[in-house]
Amino acid sequence: MPTAWLRYPGGATLEMMRLLGIAFRNLTRAKRRNALSGGTMVLGSAALVLGSGLSDGIARQLTDNLVAVQTGHLLVLVRSDDFIPQNSPFDAYGQELIPGAEEMAHRIEAEGKAVGVARAVPYLHGRATAMAGSRSSPAGVIGIEPSREPELRAAFPSIAGRFLADGDDLSAYVAEPVARKLRLGVGDAVSFVVQTPKGGLNSMDAVVCGVFKKNAPWYDATFYVTLRAAQALFDGAGSGTNIKIELRDGSTSGAHRARDAVARMVGAPAGVPPRSRVRVETFDEAGRFSFSIIQANEAALTILSAFLFLAAGVGIVNAMLMSVHERTREIGTLRALGMRRGLVVRLFLLEGFALGVCAAVAGATLGGVLVLRLGSQGIPMNTMTLAWMAGGDALFPVLRATSVARAAGAIALLSTLAAAYPAFAASRLEPREALQHV
Amino acid sequence: MFSLLILLLAAAPPDAEAILRQADKAVLGETSVYTLRMTVVRPGKGDRVVEMRGWKKGDTQGLVRYTSPPKERGTAYLRNGESTWLYLPSGEKVVRVGAKQNFGGGDFSNADIFRLSLVLDYTPTLAGEEEMEGQPCYKLELKAKDRSVAYDRVVYWVRSDGTFYPVRAEYYTIAGKKLKWLTASDVDLLGGRRRPTLLTMENALDAGARTTLRFLAIEDGVKLDETLFAPSALERGE
Repeated sequence: MPTAWLRYPGGATLEMMRLLGIAFRNLTRAKRRNALSGGTMVLGSAALVLGSGLSDGIARQLTDNLVAVQTGHLLVLVRSDDFIPQNSPFDAYGQELIPGAEEMAHRIEAEGKAVGVARAVPYLHGRATAMAGSRSSPAGVIGIEPSREPELRAAFPSIAGRFLADGDDLSAYVAEPVARKLRLGVGDAVSFVVQTPKGGLNSMDAVVCGVFKKNAPWYDATFYVTLRAAQALFDGAGSGTNIKIELRDGSTSGAHRARDAVARMVGAPAGVPPRSRVRVETFDEAGRFSFSIIQANEAALTILSAFLFLAAGVGIVNAMLMSVHERTREIGTLRALGMRRGLVVRLFLLEGFALGVCAAVAGATLGGVLVLRLGSQGIPMNTMTLAWMAGGDALFPVLRATSVARAAGAIALLSTLAAAYPAFAASRLEPREALQHV
Repeated sequence: MFSLLILLLAAAPPDAEAILRQADKAVLGETSVYTLRMTVVRPGKGDRVVEMRGWKKGDTQGLVRYTSPPKERGTAYLRNGESTWLYLPSGEKVVRVGAKQNFGGGDFSNADIFRLSLVLDYTPTLAGEEEMEGQPCYKLELKAKDRSVAYDRVVYWVRSDGTFYPVRAEYYTIAGKKLKWLTASDVDLLGGRRRPTLLTMENALDAGARTTLRFLAIEDGVKLDETLFAPSALERGE
């Protein structure tokens, strides 16, 4: 008498659907064991989603911050021929003045429309000593064109006072940590002393117009002034250390495509120091430090995932082997009734798949909820080490559909693959011996 | 008539550059070997005292070696031309340092220590005569000859009683902010002639902080070999 699994009028698809149905039903036969191995996978997939959320959050805030504050999508700066990256967050700042940086930025903006240039903004970065009353601190002074820096303004929102205004050449916009160190508030006077690139010492007095909430720890001692004020301070009229270029296509590939065209516009201007040249770098090149953190986080996540997979995989193999052992007589009966070895393999693989799908859905949901919750309130990075790793005083995890799908798919696949050995073991049972199993 | 002209010339003050040249040589001679004690005073912290021996030849060559405290003995600064080097015996390495970097953690910069001749870098004008630190002085306005000089402007008081001892110098940035001020005091007999023996530098960047250089011994007119000022000699600790 042909049984249901010997002949399927509906073809292979129907056969698979029925086997899948049986597989799901079988999961409920050993609730405790399947709950334990499924629970491991739920936690594993939730951890994967959470880990991806943390990693994606770090990547996003480091990249967004880098592009908004330091590099834009393309960065023009002078590098000496023997420049060696120090893997420092200050690598992106040029060490030499670009002669005629303002004029060069205007030219890039005018001529670069065809290659996707939306905006080209010069800025001037230099080191200084900041003084207020009897206190002093090492500082970074950055001259900007305030109205042309909307991304910077959004990245560093004021917590007191206001952002710089164009023409406000006697004002300074101050990072909160250095303002606290020097006991500076809005309306207070601050002085800067610098050594100019030519070698002389210069100074500037300014009034604090605003205090901003900085993100990454390397901006703790930053003072923004207008570009004109910085040019006077560093004795470099019309110059800057960097030109930040915003592209319409801000992707990494878009930046790499536009770089060569911008490099041709920049050329080799006169006045660049000997053994140095003007270079155009994409944000991932100029921001090596940020991208090395991103890569380190991704590597850590990969290693963590591998261990999670290994632990979950061993659990699944063990649970399925137990299942095969307990169901030896049942398998023997099915084989005696004519069930082919291939069908036995498929049945156990589908049981593994069914368990994996259930665990992946539950785990991804749990992880997704956690990421959304943490992403809305942020995770405080209370120590300096954590703040450097996360590129900010708080970390906001990001939930990406691709990360969730990847984690869920990986868990379901793992569960199915882990069932392969038990499925093969089940298929090798001889009906006569299996039926005698006690 | 001729006598009257001589009298008038004798009564007129010397020109600014001549005053500056005299003042440049008032503390150390053209070639000198000296011993000094540097004291770095920082509010709220203990004083740091270092003793050193120095050699000076002309306006562009100078060498200073620490002789105490024992843990810093052997540390040396060398200036030759426009370059300055630091030798740290613990690392057994010679490194080039900037002329504007501070000297030995105090308020003097390397340039302040080794570039004692102001006439090379500044164009002086006589701004008048006035009393400073209780002494009659010429007041000189010194303007940097180019933008590479550390201080764009120096106001310099030099005694007008014929000794040309420097009394006070104030150093200003390009924008006109007073950054440091130096006082020269304690005129005493040292190395066979009277001269200021105490230099005190104060710094607007660090209120209450100051660094003093007390000359303990000076010998002028010593013959010094050129090899003394070679960086290789610095490394050998000669």
